[in-house]
Amino acid sequence: MSIIKKIHDMLSSKEISCKELTEQYLSEIDKSNGELNAYVNITPEVALEQAQKVDEKLAKGEEIGMLEGVPMTLKDNMSTKGIETTCCSKILTGYKPIYNATVWDNLESKGAVLLGKTNMDEFAMGSSCETSYFGGATNPFNTKHCAGGSSGGGASAVSGNIAAYALGSDTGGSIRQPASFCGIVGLKPTYGAVSRYGLIAYASSLDQIGPITKTVEDASIVFDAISDYDPKDSTSQGRQKGLTYDTINNDIKGMKIGIAREYLEGIRDDVKEALLNATKVYESLGAEIVYFDMPAIKYALPVYYIIACAEASSNLGRYDGIRYGFKAEHYNGTHDMMCRTRSEGFGEEVKRRILLGTYVLSAGYYDAYYKKAQNLRGTILKAFNDAFLNCDFILAPTVPMTAFEMGHAVSDPVETYLTDICTVPVNIAGLPAVSIPCGFNAKGMPIGMQLIGNKFEEAKILNAANMYEKVAKENFKDTKWGVKL
Amino acid sequence: MVTREDIENIAILSKLFVAEEDLDKLTEQMQEIVEFADAINNAPDSGEEFDNINNLSNVFREDVVVESFPSEEILKNAPEQAEDHFLVRNHT
Repeated sequence: MSIIKKIHDMLSSKEISCKELTEQYLSEIDKSNGELNAYVNITPEVALEQAQKVDEKLAKGEEIGMLEGVPMTLKDNMSTKGIETTCCSKILTGYKPIYNATVWDNLESKGAVLLGKTNMDEFAMGSSCETSYFGGATNPFNTKHCAGGSSGGGASAVSGNIAAYALGSDTGGSIRQPASFCGIVGLKPTYGAVSRYGLIAYASSLDQIGPITKTVEDASIVFDAISDYDPKDSTSQGRQKGLTYDTINNDIKGMKIGIAREYLEGIRDDVKEALLNATKVYESLGAEIVYFDMPAIKYALPVYYIIACAEASSNLGRYDGIRYGFKAEHYNGTHDMMCRTRSEGFGEEVKRRILLGTYVLSAGYYDAYYKKAQNLRGTILKAFNDAFLNCDFILAPTVPMTAFEMGHAVSDPVETYLTDICTVPVNIAGLPAVSIPCGFNAKGMPIGMQLIGNKFEEAKILNAANMYEKVAKENFKDTKWGVKL
Repeated sequence: MVTREDIENIAILSKLFVAEEDLDKLTEQMQEIVEFADAINNAPDSGEEFDNINNLSNVFREDVVVESFPSEEILKNAPEQAEDHFLVRNHT
């Protein structure tokens, strides 16, 4: 059952006050954050102040909105006015934004209770959360394993029941991959469906904010609440169709589900088996499975790293030690000051990506890498458009494997890049995709699959995901951690 | 082929220092990443440049004057400030 609806019912029926509920969450965070490392900044004053407002409203007999009083968290790259926002980088330590990200403005006005800011790979660059300046978040299913990344903290918090839901950001899989690793739901919306204003930029043409939740219904509720046109983000368009929640229980009989054979290459056997089992579930629900080829996606990974790093090298130029954040203590001249600030302030992975981005944009390499990657981006989008002529959505593994052990991802950058193979095509083409749990490996670690939709067809993929969840509940397992409602 | 000189040059462009002892390792890693990126050179070229994910072009709006942030608020985040300005010392 939807966690958000359950909390809403408990608050509305006065089974629990919002203050008591918020205190329960805060106390569980206290108990488990030492091991999960999901939160990098806990905000009890902000949470309890909001909780009090909700309780006052309830005491007056007023009705509350669905998200009102529900304790949640934001990834640490979303600007929160007056609350430290670091992107889990040393270079932004102490930075307190003077404005809110539009998503937070929106949820705050709906009465959301902010428990804190969650852990992430530094500037969202990584696949295990371990490039975080604060160390990585661990996986609630087994804390020897990572939570995934980059939105690892949010996924760990939701899976560990120390937040009812989280907002993450997804540039190359950063919502879906940790959701898959932690056995929960992660929705990467269509590019432009959710405002990016106030989201600290990594790669602007790929970044998108979305919900990380325990159930598909919760993802639908949160998506409907945050998807809106925002004049402050010129690439935003908002939800193009009605509320996704209205069609979440529709019959999916007759739906055509496409499986691109390329997505099944090079993935672990247990992941493949779980995915094929899911196709059987869908067939039993009356859907039809169609196989097809999509050769263009084999170029997705290099295209992604070229474009993402190129955009990052430009976006991260703003960290110069002058306007905000960390500044080197000793220097001689302004060039030296900037170089020292950036060299001491950025971690290894961030520096590697800035250097790669600068390389592919520099004279002599621009045509061979950046321009070629942009051309291929068109080819990949066209391949998706062609696929959607013959199917309603594409079903694919989210990650070729289950959660890595802590320390594994940092040892080999290129090998780690390869694990993003299934998630990046969606960002390159600007499509929506939702990752949901579809099984466990022999060691009990969750396996995820993603439903990839055509642009602005969040309703369709959430509908199909929800129908799967209803009949495959055993794959949506709870963990031992946190608040038990 | 990525050389040590390439890394030194792009480090200057990126305003980053690369320590002498890290240069070989980084050159090797960058070479590996660039080889991996080279895969795209075998791809068929559609010839069309793609720089528009949303099919949006020229997003215009009326030039409406809105209130800006007070400078003292903005300056609060600056490591150093003086007389309503960001302070950049030439050396310490």
